[in-house]
Amino acid sequence: MIDTIKQKISGLLSDASVKGVVALKTANGHVTPCVFQKEDDLDMLSLGDMQASGDTRYPLNKVLITIARQYPDDVFGVLVRGCDERGLYTLYRLNQLDPDKVVPIGFCCPEELAKACECKKPYPDDPVAGEKTKEIFQNRMEEIEGMDISKRFSFWMDQFSKCIKCYGCRNICSMCFCRECSLECEDLVSKGSLPVDIPVFHLTRAMHMADRCIDCGLCEEACPSDIPLRVLYKKTSRIMNAEFGFTSGIEKQEKSPLSMLGPAPDN
Amino acid sequence: MAGLAASFGSGAMTNAICELEQSDTIFIIGSNTATSHPLVATRIFRAIEKGAKLIVADPRKNQIANFAHLYVRHKPGTDVALLNGMMKVILNKGISDDKFIAENTEDFEAFKQVIDKFTLEEASNISGVSEEDIKNLAKVYASADNASIVYCMGITQHTNGVNNVKTLANLSMLTGNIGKPGTGVNPLRGQNNVQGACDMGGLPNVYTGYQSVTLGDANKKFAKAWGVETLPTKIGLTLPEMFSGIENDEVKAIWVMGENPVVSDPDANHVKKALEKLELLIVQDIFLTPTARLADVVLPGVSFAEKDGTFSNTERRVTRVRKAIDPVGESRQDWAIIQDVSNAFGYEMNYESPEEIFDEIADITPSYAGISYERLEGPGLQWPCPSKGHPGTPFLHKDGKFTRGKGLFHAIDYRPPAEKTDNEYPYLMTTGRVYAHYHTGTMTRNSESLDFEIPEGFLELNPADAQELGISDGHKIKMASRRGEIKTKVMITDRVEKGVVFMPFHFEETNVNKLTNPAYDPIARIPEFKVCAVKLEKA
Amino acid sequence: MDYRNTLTTCTYCGCGCNLFLESLDGRLTGTIPCKTGPVNEGKLCIKGWNVHQFVQSGKRLTKPLLRKNRKLEEVSWDEALDFIASRLKHIKAADGPDAVGFFASAKVTNEENYLMQKFARAAIGTNNVDHCARL
Repeated sequence: MIDTIKQKISGLLSDASVKGVVALKTANGHVTPCVFQKEDDLDMLSLGDMQASGDTRYPLNKVLITIARQYPDDVFGVLVRGCDERGLYTLYRLNQLDPDKVVPIGFCCPEELAKACECKKPYPDDPVAGEKTKEIFQNRMEEIEGMDISKRFSFWMDQFSKCIKCYGCRNICSMCFCRECSLECEDLVSKGSLPVDIPVFHLTRAMHMADRCIDCGLCEEACPSDIPLRVLYKKTSRIMNAEFGFTSGIEKQEKSPLSMLGPAPDN
Repeated sequence: MAGLAASFGSGAMTNAICELEQSDTIFIIGSNTATSHPLVATRIFRAIEKGAKLIVADPRKNQIANFAHLYVRHKPGTDVALLNGMMKVILNKGISDDKFIAENTEDFEAFKQVIDKFTLEEASNISGVSEEDIKNLAKVYASADNASIVYCMGITQHTNGVNNVKTLANLSMLTGNIGKPGTGVNPLRGQNNVQGACDMGGLPNVYTGYQSVTLGDANKKFAKAWGVETLPTKIGLTLPEMFSGIENDEVKAIWVMGENPVVSDPDANHVKKALEKLELLIVQDIFLTPTARLADVVLPGVSFAEKDGTFSNTERRVTRVRKAIDPVGESRQDWAIIQDVSNAFGYEMNYESPEEIFDEIADITPSYAGISYERLEGPGLQWPCPSKGHPGTPFLHKDGKFTRGKGLFHAIDYRPPAEKTDNEYPYLMTTGRVYAHYHTGTMTRNSESLDFEIPEGFLELNPADAQELGISDGHKIKMASRRGEIKTKVMITDRVEKGVVFMPFHFEETNVNKLTNPAYDPIARIPEFKVCAVKLEKA
Repeated sequence: MDYRNTLTTCTYCGCGCNLFLESLDGRLTGTIPCKTGPVNEGKLCIKGWNVHQFVQSGKRLTKPLLRKNRKLEEVSWDEALDFIASRLKHIKAADGPDAVGFFASAKVTNEENYLMQKFARAAIGTNNVDHCARL
């Protein structure tokens, strides 16, 4: 698979159809997010599977946003899995990236990773490499949904009270690009001591992720307190889907019901 | 570190951070882990999820104490009384690991005599912890298969700091909780490269790798390596002794590299006066710190982002620091500054790179001998790493084979802290860190996001005390000790108990070290930051 | 365009977390935790996440300063180095090597601490070297 992707990137660089390709490489004995600008460097290309499938994924769309803000007229390629591609669609919708300036290089996740993520769409629309595997059922969420309300409440409160307010869930997230952040609004969340205000901090973020989260899971992997954030955001996504039939980034052109003006939906 | 070195033969964290996940009991004493060492707290949270028991003893109920199966709030400076009380229970109940003690330790009898004389009632009266709780602490710790002790400055920053550490070492040996994965006595080093600064001979009595300056062999070896005829064999002055030396006109010049003693050291007014008295004060730093403002000459060094090198973390892991950007302005890499000064002074140094310096270190330091930049690609290596093929050492004192031979029990009686409360100074103040800041704030207070999070200093005060003083949350208070006075904002919280106040030390505007007591431990020379008598008044 | 991620070790507490310093055209733009760092495994605290922010602060010292007429003034490196060398020589000659003391640092690298104690011991001839391990 990696050779096919290497060839694809090599082609894009050699005919100068992109200025660079945001991807991963192995350097200093670790997987590192990077931008390839020379074909010669492609020997170092990595897909982010160090020990297990996808265990060294990084927020490549976030890197792309950083670069695109500085170089708005140039075209860049970016390595994407299914979730990253949903991220791109969402970032196009939110005017953070220009689709004409982005060349996605998509590859499918192996079944192993799709299962670990309980992924809704473990493949991009138009993959360069890999086989499309099917949607995986959301067992982790069912488990928590299965608790009675008071148990569920104390489960989440216990989880949230471990928070050390690193903001890592926000910082790692490609969908969190706002210059002003509600988590830093003192009317919502007080600052200055730990534990953080619960559940306000986490629920504020969950609200904001409702029409953005593309379930890449990087937030949960970045959480120093192992809070099951991914399950929390899966839940907000499920509500969005049940209420509005909307799932972030599944349809390329679809607008979010939360950012449309007009009459209330029928129900 | 002096305490662990005396007990075990090696003054470093005995086990690796990740091993905490394998512990079935973790005993935290004097460490605000979730704030000061968050990534160690991660492992503790995971251990709890896996069913481990957490026991916490701290005068201040910090975040991680909320997850404890048993939390006790002992009075500041009474650690030995609490721990000896626990050991009394362990001996009385016969739940000590007698086989381990017999095979791997010495001086147990002298230690036992001290414990025999001490009563549980005394332990409870002194520490303020109920007899029942002390019994439970002892039972939980002693009945674990793998119990790990985690401590930090709450143990060491006392006039009895070394005794506190030796007492923790006693506790681990008494129950055989040392020399296996997930056990041990684990000091969390406060600063990124404290371990490295010690390893590199940044101490008055040793060269690199703790090779003594007074030993003829080491002395000759280093003289040869450094191309000089002789090296001094007299042990040098510690930091507090250097300050006394300045007062006695014995010390005339000081070179400070990347430290800020005016904010970090106790009795700040006194420190400032001493530094002003020097004939020559050289300060090498990245910002014009309160200490740099007193200097005769200031040398602009660079941050970690502008240089290559290595740090050694709290679990003795050596990892690489790599240059990300060019030095700001005309600032120079700190190793290059020392080389420049040395060459100007007339002692020639010609290093091309930090790697060349590291290779020299490995040549003359047995515990680093097997480490090279090439081998540090990847996860790094934990010393001791004595040869090129050696994989490094995750935990020390394997199977009870202590670095010093046998583990040494110390007979330690409780001694009260240097300063007591009285009618004039009725509150006990203790100091520490907050989650968004680091040390004297030189770096974190110049970071926009961190300064936003916590822009100023504050005093934590118990609601009952606040009511007595007639003060509300966010209001100003005047706090004085026998050495100085500051004004600060108040945060009312039951994290501290009545009669005890807490203040972070990151803020030069409300420099709490104007108040703290410079009285220090007679062996480790660590000042008693954690106990100081103060009076409070509405400002 | 020059976009880089430089793998390094955090400069704050003793955990020793591995992170990437993200830079674009010579300016630090962010911090990314390293997933394969043995201590932090892709996680950081609030200090680590913002560790790039202070580095290029406008308040950084950019030139040596020398006290002249009671005020610190910017001078060249040569002037600062000559001043230090001549003052150190003078004090060593007049009051002996033990009149000089060194504060090594828990914040700089191993190599730099090594070099400072080497200078103290081999060049000046004193063991007056300590650092704030105790604080």
